[in-house]
Amino acid sequence: MRKTCLIALLALAPLFAHGAEPYREYDLAETYEPHVSGDMRLSGSYRHWANPGNLDWRMAGNPDENWKLNWKFMDPPFNSAVHGGHFAMDRGELLFKELNLKGRFAKCLGAGKGGLKGLRARYPMYRADLKRIAGLEEVIESCAAREGRVLQNGSYDNSAVSLFVAGRSNGMPIRIDVGKGVMRDAFERGRTLFHTRAGKLNLACSSCHTHQIGLQLRGTVITTPYGDAAHYPVYRTKYFLQSLHLRFIECNLDTRVQPLMPGSRAYTDLEVFLTGLTNGYPVSVPSERD
Amino acid sequence: MRIATSLACLTMALALPARAAGLPPDAAVNPAAPNKTLEPNVVANSGRLEWVPFKRDLTDWPTLSHEDKRSTAKPRKVKLSQPLNGDPARGREIAQRSDKGYCIVCHQMPGEDWPGTVGLNLSNFKQRKYADEAVFQLLFDARVINAQTVMPPYGTNNILTEQEIRDLVAYLQSIE
Ligand code: HEC
Ligand code: HEC
Repeated sequence: MRKTCLIALLALAPLFAHGAEPYREYDLAETYEPHVSGDMRLSGSYRHWANPGNLDWRMAGNPDENWKLNWKFMDPPFNSAVHGGHFAMDRGELLFKELNLKGRFAKCLGAGKGGLKGLRARYPMYRADLKRIAGLEEVIESCAAREGRVLQNGSYDNSAVSLFVAGRSNGMPIRIDVGKGVMRDAFERGRTLFHTRAGKLNLACSSCHTHQIGLQLRGTVITTPYGDAAHYPVYRTKYFLQSLHLRFIECNLDTRVQPLMPGSRAYTDLEVFLTGLTNGYPVSVPSERD
Repeated sequence: MRIATSLACLTMALALPARAAGLPPDAAVNPAAPNKTLEPNVVANSGRLEWVPFKRDLTDWPTLSHEDKRSTAKPRKVKLSQPLNGDPARGREIAQRSDKGYCIVCHQMPGEDWPGTVGLNLSNFKQRKYADEAVFQLLFDARVINAQTVMPPYGTNNILTEQEIRDLVAYLQSIE
């Protein structure tokens, strides 16, 4: 009977065939530059938000124009209002100090002589201990586990620690090298994923974020993908704190694509891609978005 | 005996985890839940990420996972059998509802205060004088007409039923 089943299952196997390459569709390819100024060739809005401390407040107050600022007026230092992101950062500091009692946690995250300063600007990076490229939140989860503490990737406390660590690099430009080796491979995979159609509506990230910038999806205006990675994790009224991978999940769900787990390889590749497009733009936390 | 065996086999096959159907291991799902797809819920001051059931089951379509080897449904050419038999009033409702066509998220249509601007303005569609056939194909699967279309393949991907698409065609053709 077992054998019959096996044969029957084998007969069904072609239904789940893994051999041949699956048929997938890709949105028109674009050239991207691994630097935030590359937006001058995509949407051109960069000229309005290149300098975060010096945005045009009239544009910020004008609903028809504020998207051209890539919502950077909700980043510090322009936005000086106290919001949930500040409370999260305070909690992140507390958690960090608890975890780092023996000094091991900071070292595990990759802190050198200068402490945490500049660390956030170098993530995602290749981690020999994990044998793969990882974003800061994935590393926080793994380093916290070594201290016997559960800080799941995407959880409030994980993002709070990430925010605190990022705060120590505030104002320092994102600087990851996607020009060679495994980081270049990840950037290229991320670029392909950004253009891969998926889900029930058969849309790619680029269907909106590259080809419809400045246009409206009902009340929401789509902005450039350049420069986004520098303000994560972000304070959102709906999600309290949202890591970049949770934002991918939100966009996936909104466009009827089955989401992946935070820290999945595909999301990490997308993170490398979007962080590459943010090179040269300063870390800006805690930021707020609607 | 043979029937019993096949039945047993079928049960075994159905009991296989969702992965057997091609769902990648890194998908955020609960295979035991009726609507397998999960949505994260960030709980303040907690180190755990809570997952709650999402309102839709999205597991049948390709994800972005590197391990997802499922194919996208190929573009499908269709023929519209006459008569159209579409109801414009129903079509209008389908165009507005977020759980149906939700066309207004991208398109301007009459009576909509806050429409999208991603797609073309459809507020005088009748003047374009398209044949029903062409509009039906466009909604069923626009890839046949434009391989790079942004329009979701409403028919091919079972987003709407054929009757609902007929209702939409009737509605569009009625917009003066
Ligand atoms: C149907 C349109 C659509 C698709 C497809 C889509 N998004 Fe979005 N996305 C939006 C809109 C609208 C916003 C909010 C406005 C903005 O910031 O551009 C947004 C916001 C974002 C943000 C936040 C930007 C910020 O400044 O904080 C990121 C990151 C993002 N999307 C990434 C993605 C990725 C990655 C994919 C593909 C997996 C994707 N999106 C697919 C419409 C879309
Ligand atoms: C995600 C965005 C999006 C959604 C949702 C959408 N459309 Fe479109 N539609 C477009 C875009 C963009 C075009 C322009 C051409 C193209 O991309 O194929 C278009 C083109 C069209 C056209 C062709 C107009 C012409 O004159 O050639 C029609 C008709 C149309 N859409 C109707 C609909 C209807 C009806 C629905 C809902 C059932 C719908 N669309 C949903 C984005 C969308």
